[in-house]
Parts: sequence; structure tokens; C-alpha cells
Amino acid sequence: MNKHRCYIQGSAAISAQHTFDGDFFSAPMVTTSTNNLVAAEPDYKAFIPPNSLRRMSRMLKMGLTAALKAVQNSGQPAPQVIVTGTGKGSLSDTEKFIRDIEQYQERALNPTPFIQSTYNSVNGLIALQQQSTGYNNTFVHRGFSFENALLDSMLQLHEGVGNTLTGAFEEMTDEHFYIKSRIGFWKDTPTGNAAMFDHNTSGSISGEGATFFMLGTERTPNAEACVTGMKMLYKPSAEALNKALPVFLEQHGLKPTDIDLVITGRNGDINTDHYYRVLLSAHCPATPEVPFKQLCGEHDTAGAFAVWLGAQILKHQQLPDMLQSYATNVPDPIRRILIYNHFIGEQHTFFLLEQA
Amino acid sequence: MAERVFITGMGLITAIGDNVMENLRSLRLQQSALGPTRHIDTIHKDILPVAEVRHSTEQLAVMAGAPGVQGYTRTTLLGLIAMKEALQSAGLTEADLPAAGFVNASTVGGMCDTEKVYFDIINPDKQGEFLDYIDTLDCADCTQRIADETGIGAHIATISTACSSSANALMYGARLIKHGQLDLAICGGTEALTRFTINGFNSLKNIDKQHCKPFDRDRNGLNLGEGAAYLVLESESQVKRRGARVLAELSGYCNANEAFHPTAPSPEGDGAYNAMKQALAMSGRTIGEVQYVNVHGTATLNNDASEGKALLRLFGDKVPMFSSTKPFTGHTLAAAGAIEAIFSVLAIREQMVFPNLNFSEKMEEADVTPETRLLEQFPVQNVISNSFGFGGNNASLVISRYE
Repeated sequence: MNKHRCYIQGSAAISAQHTFDGDFFSAPMVTTSTNNLVAAEPDYKAFIPPNSLRRMSRMLKMGLTAALKAVQNSGQPAPQVIVTGTGKGSLSDTEKFIRDIEQYQERALNPTPFIQSTYNSVNGLIALQQQSTGYNNTFVHRGFSFENALLDSMLQLHEGVGNTLTGAFEEMTDEHFYIKSRIGFWKDTPTGNAAMFDHNTSGSISGEGATFFMLGTERTPNAEACVTGMKMLYKPSAEALNKALPVFLEQHGLKPTDIDLVITGRNGDINTDHYYRVLLSAHCPATPEVPFKQLCGEHDTAGAFAVWLGAQILKHQQLPDMLQSYATNVPDPIRRILIYNHFIGEQHTFFLLEQA
Repeated sequence: MAERVFITGMGLITAIGDNVMENLRSLRLQQSALGPTRHIDTIHKDILPVAEVRHSTEQLAVMAGAPGVQGYTRTTLLGLIAMKEALQSAGLTEADLPAAGFVNASTVGGMCDTEKVYFDIINPDKQGEFLDYIDTLDCADCTQRIADETGIGAHIATISTACSSSANALMYGARLIKHGQLDLAICGGTEALTRFTINGFNSLKNIDKQHCKPFDRDRNGLNLGEGAAYLVLESESQVKRRGARVLAELSGYCNANEAFHPTAPSPEGDGAYNAMKQALAMSGRTIGEVQYVNVHGTATLNNDASEGKALLRLFGDKVPMFSSTKPFTGHTLAAAGAIEAIFSVLAIREQMVFPNLNFSEKMEEADVTPETRLLEQFPVQNVISNSFGFGGNNASLVISRYE
């Protein structure tokens, strides 16, 4: 994606931090002593009528609410296109239906968890609520879920639609946290997000959240930032990755020194954090770098949170207090941010954001 | 956006055959594959017919050229078999694949195998080989294993929009080509039967205990099926460069949402109407140039009424020949769009219209009659293929004869 650029006309994020409401820029970091960063769920009643709320599971509430707030924040009319990404969809519904089948021996089952476990159920709800009858798609590809949703949205904008609602959502359950612990996803001892980079151990800290953006080709009054480029690399070799970054920047007419800030997906896992170190020391050794997964935890669609964070930094022209300690030499103004994130070393993505 | 998108290869496996030729033969012989499940442990075994691929998972592993590989789910193996046929059919070699994209579709990923060991997985006291299947539940698992096995590397994505998933995969692949992101994309979907989905649709009271009767007055629900199908899409310039054989053109497509209800279609078929109308407009064909519609036709009360009305709205009193092939293959969910896209290509290449099995009387809700005969030497130039899903997701493809 080089010639395409789009504006983030409004956004909303539900995460472990006070990103949805409250002053994200001056708030201290929300911390946990466990290895699971749980999202701070907002008061849903302001967005969803009580009778609907009762029927909806946690992921649906989080996804729908973040989507509606992003539309609201953009000051734009209902989206013409809705594209999302989720690695796992509504895990709690999937688990509930598996358990119900076992418990009730396949008899007299309630269909609601089955319906809500469908990966596109959040999309369907948003379309219903917004009466958006246009293109509607859901990507479910681990660390490329949000990334494909963003690419699809940019193609849609290029094809002429006015705006897209583009987002990602992910939920962690106790059961799934345990499942992933069995294959080494998380740190063995309770580490907490504040100390996740200090332990030099394998595994990370889990997370969850919902992040949505209204994207459009117009620079609207509330516009936060511009997405100017993205590159996905699937299981790249060290050599391919090393070559890809300068090529990506060059395709956008940039040199490494044009980047004012790098946001990385470092997650404290000694098995996969070397990708960040090697790539940045080779190409942008002097560029200030801030990691973001201590804020939202590791999850399939953490890349969406990074884009949200980058857009907020560009809009407010400062780092949130909770990130100040990571980088002291951030230039003023901050014009351009490079995000480099990978999910368990398999799906690698560069995003390029610019001031709106 | 100037590039036309051509179909240059295809591969599939369904309950009616292990490859394209076998599927075509079963369609010709009007042989359905509905019957009791042999591979799923369910109380509905002898009550709810399914269209199950007859081979065991171990046999599929041999057919896929991956016997004994731990962690390959039935979903992955079905996909791998269809993928290998598609690559061969397009004449693609290993050297072509690093530049190819793969857009896959799945509704429940590796659930077929995960559900068998799920309670061991969550039990700290249990250890064993089942741990190899721990990360196979999500939809990306089968996509990545197929990509890794074949060496496809330029772009990778998995789509899940319920029953329209693989139609959307084809659309996304076509758009990536039109935008110049890729010259070659292999798109489709894979779906294995699971206790999870059988119970899911059964809890919605959507499954017929008899063989499904699409568009019939006495239709009473769908039968689930399993399978996988992939189509090789290539840009016009790449086709010329490679000297590829063109099977058909993907000339139009549309994804539209109904915004009506989480699971039910609108009574007037708004989404189906919009999807067909816009896909046809994109193809540049008129309603008079459509000879055959491979309808979604699940045989649920709601779908067929709503789709029938959409046909009447779009075509008026000139509804073309149409049929649902779901009585042959069952409803294969994420794979359905791609399987039926291949049947649409076959309709054009073989100049055939496939019969809508099990139909006897017209429904009350819409004055439309599906084609119940097998028509041969029938001049099919353009086919509309429909796939509609939960969440109001409606997708239509227009597949046209190459000229």
C-alpha cells in the first residue's frame, strides 16, 4: 500500500488502560501483578439499550461499544463499510457452547452462544445498529486479522466509498489463558505488565480489547492522523525482514531518519523480541522507540491498539505520561510514526502514520 | 482497476467426490451423498443426515500427502487436498507460489479435532498428544498450514463471515488483484463437520431430518456438509505472461449487508437482491444474459422464501434457470461459496444446468420453480452464484464464459 493514504477521522479503544474515557495522557499506567491484563470495560448503558445488553456476551458488548464510540468521535454519519479483524471472536460464547453440548448431552441447547460465537456476529450487530447495508467483512487471521481489515478498508476507500468503520476486538477468558499457558504463551511466574520487559524469560503477558476507527479520504475536523502505509510479512526470514524495512520506507519516499518515533510490539518474550532489536539497531539506531504491549497485553489484534496509540500521539503531539520513561529524545513536532509489530514471530507488520 | 480477473485453476473435495471430475460425475448421475455421519460422535447420528466426505481423517492425510503429521486437522487436510488439485489444475509450479496470495475461509477452524480433546486440554491432570492440537482451534491454523505446506507466501488472510465466507474470500482475492497488490491469488474455503456446528444449527431448529428440499413448499431446513474448494485467480496480464489456460472470468461480485436481523434474512430479500443486482451491474451483463443462478438455497424456511423473492424482484417474470446444489453436497458453510463457484464454472464449461434435487411443489411465499432436470448442451454464458450468511452477510458472484 503506497499510493493510498487515509485519515483516521475518529477512533475509540477499550483496553486495560483508561483509553475509552478518562485522561489517557496524564493517567498512571494501570498495572496488574498477574500475567493477564484485563480490559477496563466502560459503562455500556450509554451505548446499548438494557434489553439488548442482557442478551449480549462480553465480546459483543465491547466490540459494539467501541465501534459506536468511534463513529461518534468522528462526527461523521453512519459508516458505509464495516470491516473488522479478530483472532478468536467471542471466546466465551465458543467455550460456553462446547460446555453446553457436553453438559446437556446435545439436548435442548440454547442457540444464543452458538450465534454469538460466529466470528462476524459483532459486524452484524454494528451493521444492524448503524443500518449500514454496504460491504461488510471479518478477517480472522491471528496477527493479520486487523491488518487485513485495514488493507481491505483502504482498498474500499480507493474504490470510492466515503468512509469505513474499521476495527478489531479480542477477548481473553480464564479457560483460554490456561490453554495457552500449556504451550508457553505466558510467563511462568506472575510478572505483571510493569515488569514484563525486565525478566528475560520466555512468554509474555496476555491482553484483550476493542479498537475501532472511522477511516476516510477526507481530512475532517476531528481527524487524528493519517495512515499512509502498511506492509505485512508472513514468517519472513531474518534476511527478508531486514531488506523489507528500507524498501517499505523508500516506497513511501522516506529514509529511516524521517521517522520521528518507532512504536514496537516488544512483549518481553526472549524468544521473539530479538526481531525488534535487530531490525531497529540496523536501520533506525537513533530513533526514539516506545513499546506498547505493557499497556494492552499480547493478543492477536494488538496491532490495532498500536495504531490507535500512534494516532493519539500524533494528534496530541506528545507521549502519554505512562510512556515518558521509555523515550526522552522525542522530536518536536512528531510528524511521522513507524509501528513495527509481530505476533508470536509469525505475522510481522509495519504501519506508517503521519500527522493529519 | 483495469485488470480483469480470470479463473485459471480449481480443486475441490466434497461428499460427492474427491476432486473436480468426481464431483462433476456425481452431479451428472444426480447422486446425492446425504446420509448418517460415520466420523462424528453425536446423538444425532442416525437422525440428522449430513453430507460427509467418506474418508477417515487418517485416509485424508494419506491423500493430502501428509500421513502421520501431528496437528493437521480434518479442516487442514480437506483444504490441502483441494489446494493441491487447484495448483495442479492451474499448472502452477513451486516457483510461482512465493508470489501467490492465499485467501482462505473457515467458520470454526479446527473445531472438528479440538472438540474431541477439549476437556483434556482444559484439564491440568491430562497430558498427551492432544497438546499438538491446542492451537488448531482458530481459523488461521488451517490457512497457515496449507500455505506452509505449499509455499504460498506473498499474502495470507482468513475470512469468516459465516455461510458467505469463501465467496468473500474470492472477492477479496479479486480486489487485491485489481488493485495491483497481487497477480495471483488462490481463494476459497475449507470446512469439516463438527459436533459444534451440528448442534448449533440443530439448536436453531434449522436442520431437516429428511434430505433437504430447497425451494419446495414442504422444505424444512438444511443438511450440513463438509468439504473444501479453491479457485486460482489471476490478472489478465499474468495470464498472458504465463500463458495460462483460462477456465472462466470472475466478472462481477458484491458483498452487501442486510442490517435486518442477526440470523434471519429480510422477508423481501433485500440483501440478496442488492448483492445480485450490484454484482451483475459490475459484470456489465444484463439480466437477460444470465442463463443460470446457483442459488444459496439452503432449504430453510426463511432463506428460500427471501431468496425467491429477491429473484422475482431482480428478474421479474424472466427468472432464469436456477437450482440449489446443496442436496448433493450439503451446506458446507465456509466452503459453500467456493464449491458452488466451481460448479458455476462447470456449468459454463460443460454447458450444463444441475438439477435441484428433492423438489416437488412450489412454495407459497414466492412464485418461482427451480430446475429439477439435468440439462446438457444448454448454452450457459453467465452464472450468478449466491452465498448468504448470519450477520446479514450477503454475497453474490458473477462467473462468465471467457471470450
